[in-house]
Amino acid sequence: MRKKDTTAEYAIPNVEARLISRIDEPSMDSDAFAGFYQRSAAGLRAYLARVSGNPTLADDLMQESYLRFLCATHPEGGEVNYRRYLYRIATNLLRDHWRRPRAMCLEDIPERLLAARDGMSRVDSQATLDPAMALMRPRDRQLLWLAHAEGYSHKEIAEITGLRAGSVRLLLYRARRKMARLLREQAADRSRA
Amino acid sequence: MKLSSCSFEKEVAQALKDGHWPQGCTPELRNHVGACTPCSDLVLVTQAFQRVRSESSHEEPGGSPGLLWWRAQLRRRNAATQQISRPITIAEIFALIVTVVVAIGFIAWQYQHGLRWASWWSEVTLSRGLHLVSMGSAVMNGNLSLLIPGVGMLALIGGLVVYLVTEKS
Repeated sequence: MRKKDTTAEYAIPNVEARLISRIDEPSMDSDAFAGFYQRSAAGLRAYLARVSGNPTLADDLMQESYLRFLCATHPEGGEVNYRRYLYRIATNLLRDHWRRPRAMCLEDIPERLLAARDGMSRVDSQATLDPAMALMRPRDRQLLWLAHAEGYSHKEIAEITGLRAGSVRLLLYRARRKMARLLREQAADRSRA
Repeated sequence: MKLSSCSFEKEVAQALKDGHWPQGCTPELRNHVGACTPCSDLVLVTQAFQRVRSESSHEEPGGSPGLLWWRAQLRRRNAATQQISRPITIAEIFALIVTVVVAIGFIAWQYQHGLRWASWWSEVTLSRGLHLVSMGSAVMNGNLSLLIPGVGMLALIGGLVVYLVTEKS
């Protein structure tokens, strides 16, 4: 039996391909993208999952982030800048998600509600960080993850989140202090138990 | 809240980023971190995040990059098609608007002059249907014979100009 060529279904007819080439050429071919995806997807998914507290949503947003990344004109500077640009897209998607009418505003979500939701959906309940993360505001989670998990500077975080670098420094300081307090409290609770 | 920074904070952050904490650091720096709250917060939080980040880097991300790439190509194709057809749509809308505006202006102008064309319309009956063409040519004298082709040409040229301008942009 002859095997069906599935790629033919996606083949772009010549006329339409010419139309696309009039807009702009894809700045990354399939193989280059596959390599970039393998190197960046796990980190991006972890970022989205930890900030949103919802693994399913994280998967959806990750796919949409890569689609938008591929459709956009990439910044100069190679993979480091590609990765930062990808995080910027993902951050904007997260913000859009929180701002949708059905969802509550990013800043208005009660921390207890987030903690309860995370508690229900959490898979790796043994992780040390998750209970403390659940008690943080989404924006604080974003800043903490970008600074301490991804190692971005204040300026880079400002580019990704759209905040000012000075604001990032102050917000990050507050968030880190709160997170450290929560981690110490958890450690004390565990040692008592 | 007061932002109390420490002069050793950058050094500690760099050591954590490079994976040199605590073995690759001087005893003085380690002693300082033990006594300084901002630096100890930094070490505690960064180590917690780095552990989670390291664990998550071994997780297999769902989805196929090849499928994502093709989906992106389809999305680009749709966007390109929309962009190409946009000037045509704009030209069509513009031509329609010009035609409607000229028609309204013509009706208003005729109304001011006593609706002479209405009397012509009332004369058109079913029995005279076969003679419609010859009758129409007889009635469309003077301004009317010039106005209708003029309106048509204006709409056509206007639509063409808008199309060419938007196509170029």
